[in-house]
Amino acid sequence: MRFQDAARDARAVVYAGIQADALVARMAALLDDATPSQRVLARAVMNGETTDPESWRVAFPRLFGRAAGSSEVSVERSEAILEASLAVANRGEQVRSQFRGAIVEAVTERLLARRVPVDVLRHERRILFDGVTAEIHPYDVTVEVPGAAEAYDCKWGARGISPDVLHQLDDARAHAAEEGERLLPVLVVFDARRSCEVRLARQTAPRTGTRLVSIETLDRLAGRRSVAPA
Amino acid sequence: MTTIPALAERIVDAMGRLVALAEAVDDEWTYIHDLEAVWVARLRAVAAERVSEAADPAIEPAIEPAIDQLVAEVGLITDPHRAIDWLSTLPQATLVAFGEEAW
Repeated sequence: MRFQDAARDARAVVYAGIQADALVARMAALLDDATPSQRVLARAVMNGETTDPESWRVAFPRLFGRAAGSSEVSVERSEAILEASLAVANRGEQVRSQFRGAIVEAVTERLLARRVPVDVLRHERRILFDGVTAEIHPYDVTVEVPGAAEAYDCKWGARGISPDVLHQLDDARAHAAEEGERLLPVLVVFDARRSCEVRLARQTAPRTGTRLVSIETLDRLAGRRSVAPA
Repeated sequence: MTTIPALAERIVDAMGRLVALAEAVDDEWTYIHDLEAVWVARLRAVAAERVSEAADPAIEPAIEPAIDQLVAEVGLITDPHRAIDWLSTLPQATLVAFGEEAW
């Protein structure tokens, strides 16, 4: 089993530009330390139509102001998340969609960097196995540790879970096992586990060897327990 | 006086409007209805718990405007794909407004 950079085709070049956008890094840094409720705020705003910040403050009263009993620090973070999320929402539908995907990848990478050395953490990588045709779609994030590799596919919403995604992740695990290697496939979804389970319930593709990390359990990527809602 | 069950039912109605919009995406018909079913069940379960636990049924003043705003947001959605996203997002935001875990 070996890892390889994905081909730099036109799509990859365009997407690399989005991944490198300062807004993606800023949003990922904010979501890294966010509470579960603040992550829901980010999801709602980046999914939403309203671009008036006051409307979102009203919709999430527990994250803004004294009524919430929130600390000054958490209100400040909520404001920063709101501002950055609106900046994403204002980019227009197609670009917004690409940004949201890049943000999930970036926050995944940041959280993983708390658990594994940065030099084993890579993105946009293919995994090659002897005698097996390589998958075209690269893995969003990989942890390239001999004997304990991990491959991450990141999705904005549960709807992104498809048979192709599940097959690719499970095939990688199985091919690694055939070579005597261990590869943990992980699906990271910036959506509630309840919605992911609905999506998965009618899928027949293999999933037992694939770990699911959803919006409420993102902190497990960092090797820490999920924080209490606030 | 507005109660959590009444507010939850307003969200259930809003989810019904999202479903009607989202049904335009033929391939996702089953997913859409499954999503609605599980989240409506979750919202109603939370509402029922609040009724059985509450000595005082009065709700925090900020909750009703929050629900008003979330329902208004649903009214702005015209794209069926966005509606599918909101079928999952709306109940999570509602549960946050209620002070519950969002899942």
